[in-house]
Amino acid sequence: MKQVTKIPMKTNRENYRIAPARFNLWLMMIASCMLFAAIVSAYVVHKPDAEAKQLWTAFDLPVYFLFSVLTAIVSSGTIFLAFRAAKQDELAQNRLFLAITLALGLVFCVFQYLGWKQLLAMGLAFVNAKSEDISASYVWVITAVHVLHVLGGLILLTVTLVRAFQFRVHKKDMTLMSISHTYWHFVGLLWIYLYLFLYFAG
Amino acid sequence: MSTAALHAEHEGHHHHKESFISKYVFSMDHKMISKQFLITGIIMGIIGMGMSLLFRLQLAWPDEQFGILEMLLGKWAVDGKLDPNFYMGLVTIHGTIMVFYVLTAGLSGTFSNLLIPLQVGARDMASPFLNMLSYWFFFLSSVVLLVSVGVETGPASAGWTVYPPLSALEKAMPGSGLGMTLWLVAIVLFIVSALLGGINYISTVLNMRTKGMSMNRMPLTIWAFFFTAVLGLLSFPVLLGAGLFLIFDRSFGTSFYLSDIYLEGVGALENIGGSPVLYQHLFWFLGHPEVYIILMPALGITSEVISTNARKPIFGYTAMVISLMGISFLSFIVWGHHMFITGMNPFLGSVFMILTLIIAVPSAVKVFNYLTTLWKGNLRFTPAMLFSIGLVSFFISGGVTGIWLGNAAIDIQLHDSYFVVAHFHLVMGSSAIFGMFAGIYHWFPRMYGRMLNNVLGYFHFWITFICAYLVFFPMHFMGLAGVPRRYYMFTLVKDFDVWMDVNKLITIAAIIGGAAQLLFLYNFFYSIFRGKKSEQNPWQSNSLEWSAPVKHIHGNWPGEIPTVYRGPYEYSRPDREEDFFPQYIPDEGQETGTGAPSKTPAPEHKEVAEENAGHSVFFAAIRRVFGLS
Amino acid sequence: MKMLLHFAVKAKSAWGKTLMALAMLAMPILAQAQAAPDVVKPPAGFDPSSWDWVFICYLVLSVLVILVIARAFDIGSLTEKLTGKKVIKWNLTNAWVALIAMVAGGIGVWYEMVYHGKYVLLGNAFSLHGATLDSMIWWTLGFTFVVFVITECLLFWFMFRYRYREGKKAHYYYHNNTLEMIWTIVPAVVLTFLVLRGFNTWSKITNDIPADSEEIEVYAYQFGWKARYAGEDKKFGQHSFTFTSGKNPLGLAVDEYVDSLSAELKNEISQFDTLIKYAPDSAKVWKAALADLEGKQNITAYPVVYKELKEKACDAASGAYVRKLEKERDRKKTTLQRIAEYRSNKDVFNNSANDDRITTEIVLVKNKPYVFKFRARDVIHSAYMPEFRAQMNCVPGMATQFAFTPTHTTEEARQIKGNKEFEYYLYCNKICGAAHYNMKIKITVVDSEARKKVWLESQAKVVPAKTAAPATDDKGEKNTKDSAAKSPTVALN
Repeated sequence: MKQVTKIPMKTNRENYRIAPARFNLWLMMIASCMLFAAIVSAYVVHKPDAEAKQLWTAFDLPVYFLFSVLTAIVSSGTIFLAFRAAKQDELAQNRLFLAITLALGLVFCVFQYLGWKQLLAMGLAFVNAKSEDISASYVWVITAVHVLHVLGGLILLTVTLVRAFQFRVHKKDMTLMSISHTYWHFVGLLWIYLYLFLYFAG
Repeated sequence: MSTAALHAEHEGHHHHKESFISKYVFSMDHKMISKQFLITGIIMGIIGMGMSLLFRLQLAWPDEQFGILEMLLGKWAVDGKLDPNFYMGLVTIHGTIMVFYVLTAGLSGTFSNLLIPLQVGARDMASPFLNMLSYWFFFLSSVVLLVSVGVETGPASAGWTVYPPLSALEKAMPGSGLGMTLWLVAIVLFIVSALLGGINYISTVLNMRTKGMSMNRMPLTIWAFFFTAVLGLLSFPVLLGAGLFLIFDRSFGTSFYLSDIYLEGVGALENIGGSPVLYQHLFWFLGHPEVYIILMPALGITSEVISTNARKPIFGYTAMVISLMGISFLSFIVWGHHMFITGMNPFLGSVFMILTLIIAVPSAVKVFNYLTTLWKGNLRFTPAMLFSIGLVSFFISGGVTGIWLGNAAIDIQLHDSYFVVAHFHLVMGSSAIFGMFAGIYHWFPRMYGRMLNNVLGYFHFWITFICAYLVFFPMHFMGLAGVPRRYYMFTLVKDFDVWMDVNKLITIAAIIGGAAQLLFLYNFFYSIFRGKKSEQNPWQSNSLEWSAPVKHIHGNWPGEIPTVYRGPYEYSRPDREEDFFPQYIPDEGQETGTGAPSKTPAPEHKEVAEENAGHSVFFAAIRRVFGLS
Repeated sequence: MKMLLHFAVKAKSAWGKTLMALAMLAMPILAQAQAAPDVVKPPAGFDPSSWDWVFICYLVLSVLVILVIARAFDIGSLTEKLTGKKVIKWNLTNAWVALIAMVAGGIGVWYEMVYHGKYVLLGNAFSLHGATLDSMIWWTLGFTFVVFVITECLLFWFMFRYRYREGKKAHYYYHNNTLEMIWTIVPAVVLTFLVLRGFNTWSKITNDIPADSEEIEVYAYQFGWKARYAGEDKKFGQHSFTFTSGKNPLGLAVDEYVDSLSAELKNEISQFDTLIKYAPDSAKVWKAALADLEGKQNITAYPVVYKELKEKACDAASGAYVRKLEKERDRKKTTLQRIAEYRSNKDVFNNSANDDRITTEIVLVKNKPYVFKFRARDVIHSAYMPEFRAQMNCVPGMATQFAFTPTHTTEEARQIKGNKEFEYYLYCNKICGAAHYNMKIKITVVDSEARKKVWLESQAKVVPAKTAAPATDDKGEKNTKDSAAKSPTVALN
């Protein structure tokens, strides 16, 4: 009986095949994908409908959105480097690349912000009743929901960076690092996809 | 015996005892969370059913004045007559509560939480913390929804599907003001809860099964919960998208759904270019899987209960799994059958019709398999068994009318008529609620360590069963006579006069059926405190959850998690003397008649109630409701 | 942060709105508190002797009785335990109840079919496609009823037949490929038949529209219907929701109505401008009035006045008042601008609407094909004509249609139904607001074109032939008609 009592809650994990947090992350990403799928398909369904009524304004995407695509690509590279460094127990490098990724994430947000400003300057506000088109509303929704995802990623990166400075990210404790790594790639890829979609479908 | 108790006993660390808050309120133990879901679900169920009785009164006696209505609803029932706006509100909130709060969270939340770890052999959910969040988001959502009923302009009242423009325009209907805003907030919170829960269920099932528990040895309950969670994971985000657009249209003035609207007393609105039908597409992309999110856990529970109490293996285990899979897959591509007459492209309509009718095949397979499972069985009529058989009966009666409504041509006549009301109340309303009752009667010993009173259960079942048929069966005929649903009263149309006696019959049956639920409530709450103590394995069942000690402990099993040696439905094997063969007993192992795991002795019953007793009767009662010790 | 704020202003205060929306989350509690005096009224209608209370007492009583009975059975089971003899064999009892339920259920279903079955519409379709639709229903009914009866009977029979018996062991039977194939394939074949038939019926109903069909526009609004017949030119006039006004309820492109609407809008816009101009003064006045009222002891005596005044003063102080006014004005400006864009378009304003006739009843001719063109003004409605097996949603901003041919005149239908007062109706069948249940329009089917023509010519044209004065006469008449049609709604609200 004595042995029995010693079982701590950690044994919750005794049977798992993949770290539950990682598994949950993948499922969350699927859910996110479905949310974007809903929005994107609404766009696809709505467009011909509105075009028939001549209420769909085609416009060029702000150039800052392209810059943010480039940022996303670069930051995907840096997070990979951070991940590799952690795997090889090169802690200083890991911290450096994590910090760079975090900074690039912020730069990404700034680019999105500038992109929105450019949209406003083009007269394409979120509420578009006057200009009688909804194409801009969709761009606003898509970018805004995506930026929310990026903000989530930034929080994750910050936590990882703090942990890295506490020496809690290394070869034997990769869970958080690999979650940040996967999620950051996901957010980046998502943006690249959305940009290409808006570029070609808009 | 709780870990806390064990610690205290063996190590003398009394301060290890968990606080009331961490144990009963913000608990991260899946068994406690399942109880929280169940109790909240029951409360929401009472409210939802009460609402249905209120509007049934209106439909049966539209000219009568009910003092009680004015007492309950105040300004919404001046002189005891229900206000038409509030009638719509009641209909809407009844639908929302029943679909989301009772039959999604109350059913799948309760039993997925209770059974997934116990039946696959896991210490807890993949992420107990997310699990706790899932419940509290659900709780918050329930509170917001209930608050919305009390706001000055009334609750959301555009039907539970809240089609814009009606739900988007405050000036078109008072309920579309603050009430609708709160409805949307509640649903967004609910979606978060459902997603967090679903993520956990999937990851636990896929990732945390015990040794020997291969996928094809999982009980059908787990399969059902798993597919339910997958459906939820894929469809709730789409509802979130639909809801976001609606929120933007309502509060920000965008035109995703609104176009060409002139409102009496307001004038022409600015919005053009939106498409109301877009909302319907997005909504029903969730809405149809949602039907199966409601139904499949009930079917899973039924499979388990019927097999156990027929003392027979479930017939065609693989076919059952494949049909669940088929239903899940098809449910994503048939949403259009809710929209045949929205003016969609007729060709698209026929595609949706064909896909819809295909769903009848896996459903038929399930019914026939249930029947064959009963055939030549040795049926023990526990209340759970009765409710399961009741479910099969409803599933048949409601299912066959699905073949009518899935047919686009027939749907022209029957769309939004009482026929539809009859159909879905039988096939997903009554069925699912019977599945929930079956689950409660079957696993009550597992949840509370005590037995429910069987005799009360029998009365509860037969009265509810008969009343449900009395309520919903005549509605088919009303629908075939072209009586539209969601009408506040029928007295203004002469042709509908012949249905007034039916309306009265339905209402009386509903009231009696509603009163029968008091038996259940009494039974439930009485048995938590005073019920007969449960044995380790009261139903001589095979599945893994009955190998865990009666008293709940953290981590479910003291010692190692039992290993699984075979499928869960080995009942009445000819080569064995006993009519059951638990999954966790090895083939050459010694016979243990109690059904306890062979490796660890069955823990003894010990009266530890004193130890955890709070300082007040109130806390003691709450402890009792939510926990055992 | 400052940049964000700046941005908030730039984004036409969309972010501000977000904040406001968040703030609104806190409102229900406030609303609750404010609503409280209204909601918690003394139970004026409370009368302990009224029959619903008696009813409730009976109900509670009967629940108690059942509880007592059940407990008595419990004591019975206790004695069973003590004596070792079974007093009630519950398993056997349940099996018998199941058998009785099966028989009773069968009788119930039969009774329903005989007693209520005669009211259902099946077999009495009064339109051409209705007969095919009915036959589709009959086939489906046939198949499903057989399945329903067989499976339900088996279910209850098995309950009785295979009830628990001591010492018996169930048949260990877990799998049979042949059986499972059979009940996968048989339903699949039957369904294929139903699908093909349904597909044919559906395509026929939706696609086979005779070229010589007459078009009738059916217009839905909260809470009523209007029909529009084309005039002598056989052409419907153009329409837009921006043209809608009291005089022009269907928003038709009629010069004089649209011009007077424009004038009205211009007038309203200038009124709004004035209000906005004097907003600071109004704010001062309200503030003073509020202070005055608050200075008095008995604020509670005027709860409504006080509340309104306070809201107004708050709005004015926060600038919400002006924003609201500006928003309203801008909306009217947009409408005006849109009207102006259309007004110069001769394809829209081609005078073909002038001789259209708007009616509050639909008259059809027997055996003539019709296409109903549906339009909705405010929210989604659904035009449901059960006798004709016809239904289609009316969606604002989207054109929908349904084609059918009535085959029986109202007189003939009356004879068939044996009901001298029978009328065809078009009901609303999509939840659309408080008076949804009272939103219908009469359809009369006559036997000859001539009779319809007589009726149609008695209906007023959109622009009456006589000039000037009759226009207002017509408007007045229409308004009284409108209010007459709506009076039950108003009363019920």
